Amino acid sequence: MFRRLPETASDSAEVTLWVDGEPQQVGATLSVAAALLQQRGWAEYRLHHDGTPRAPLCMMGVCHDCLITIDGEPNRQGCLVIVKDGMRIETQMPAAQPTPGASTG
Amino acid sequence: MSENPTSSQVAEVAIIGAGPSGLTAATRLTKAGLKPVVFDLNAAPGGQVYRQVESPQADLRVTGIDYRLGQRVVEAFRRARVDYRPDSRVWWVQRVDAGFELGVLHEGRSAVWRARRLILCHGAMERPFPFPGWQLPGVMTAGAAQILLKQGGLLPEDAPILVGSGPLIYLLGWQYLQAGHPPTCILDLTPRLQWRLPLRQPGKAWHARGYLFKGLKMMLALKRAGVAIERDIEALEAIGDKVLEQIRYRQRGHWKQRPASLLLSHVGVMPETHLTRSLGLTHRWHAEQQSFLPVRDDTLSADENLWVVGDGAAIGGAVNAMREGTLSALEVIASYHGLTKKERHERDGLRRERARDLCARQLLDAMFLPSLNIDAMPEETIICRCEALTRGDLDQAISDGAEGPNQLKAFTRCGMGPCQGRQCSLNATLLLSRRLAQTPDQIGQWQIRPPVQTITLGELATSSMVENRVT
Repeated sequence: MFRRLPETASDSAEVTLWVDGEPQQVGATLSVAAALLQQRGWAEYRLHHDGTPRAPLCMMGVCHDCLITIDGEPNRQGCLVIVKDGMRIETQMPAAQPTPGASTG
Repeated sequence: MSENPTSSQVAEVAIIGAGPSGLTAATRLTKAGLKPVVFDLNAAPGGQVYRQVESPQADLRVTGIDYRLGQRVVEAFRRARVDYRPDSRVWWVQRVDAGFELGVLHEGRSAVWRARRLILCHGAMERPFPFPGWQLPGVMTAGAAQILLKQGGLLPEDAPILVGSGPLIYLLGWQYLQAGHPPTCILDLTPRLQWRLPLRQPGKAWHARGYLFKGLKMMLALKRAGVAIERDIEALEAIGDKVLEQIRYRQRGHWKQRPASLLLSHVGVMPETHLTRSLGLTHRWHAEQQSFLPVRDDTLSADENLWVVGDGAAIGGAVNAMREGTLSALEVIASYHGLTKKERHERDGLRRERARDLCARQLLDAMFLPSLNIDAMPEETIICRCEALTRGDLDQAISDGAEGPNQLKAFTRCGMGPCQGRQCSLNATLLLSRRLAQTPDQIGQWQIRPPVQTITLGELATSSMVENRVT
């Protein structure tokens, strides 16, 4: 888990995210991936297609291990999307997901 | 190729990336009366190094005084009122006659842009550092942890372990210390001999003195605070069932174990070459930076009307990137209407400063040369994270006859997952290089084709022109 520096905790704007159906108050400057690392940690972020758990590695759009469902759209890069009030997030834990951009080769 | 040119938008100069080099390039062009358009993947200007600089989430006591330089650069960029397009993914670029066409995805819609001149300021990425267990949740890069600190003032709840080589390891450790939450220990992978290089190269050390003193100051602060700094690390493993639970490392021949909830790793940065490779530019292996770099001439140009600057071209750091951004702007200005005497003077001064700084950089490159080789990693080490392919899987394909990167990719699917080979391309080439006893240049890297950024089929469908171009 990550937590906020005490001096920034009070005076920063927050938004409400719905993570797997539960409301979470998070800092308005965070990416979706950062908000999850703060609220839930890295233990149950995403299940990879080989059945192993994965979590964000790079946080800058390179590794694609932060893939997550945002407002119903699966496999978004959670580290590149800044949170918005009312955003619905589903962690991709239950089963293997199809990979995005099928024609990447 | 241009069935419907009216539906594309036109930029005098297109700039990709709003980090240090993109910001100074755009600001300088605007000052000269030109109208650049800046596309950036991120939501706010500053790049990775000056992320969140307009509304800092951690104070300068923690992030360090260098952050203030970023504030000034972003302020100048804002004052210049540049046509700035954040949250924009440039997912393909191709040459059209003497100029370029770009596919730009913004808010789920793709648009085609035409530009006569193009400055690539897309920046660097952390060098992928595979070791057994690096795919476990609880292992992140030091750069990722620093992004969390800048973006939201986020710190690890429990003290992390830092491992790797290069200035960022000590900078992050020092920042956590400043915030009152130092790491438990730092496993420094820099071979001891490399720390002595400044003594043997006093000339370069003089140019690098600013960097060296800063590093030394941080290291001493960490030692004084009781952070263990372990050296002579020969091997490393992350262990855990579903998340990281402990790390093992071999130090001077002995295996040691430490409980760990968060391991932050880093072995330097390297240019992100997807864009430059997709444009078919020549890249050469640079042994000192252990990376492939796009080939540029003295004017930082890689091809006609195309400049590549900042850490996306060669690692030189933020200050050098700002200089290169301004230099590329001056070259663009020169290509329009030549330079005034004053502008020539400005250019020559920047070139001199750049040469001095790159001299210091050579010493830093040599000091922090990555030490753990990919071919020496245990065979279960995952190389391609997306396709979960191990070093053993790739070695099998090489012994089955894969003679180059494109074949290795076809044999194994290495590099064909969502990250498009960003995490495995270099290591696949290095493994082939060792096994086939050829230089990295002889092996080369696999071809990059669009999309160079992730795009969904739905987003693809928004672009009517795309079908004619990229299928």
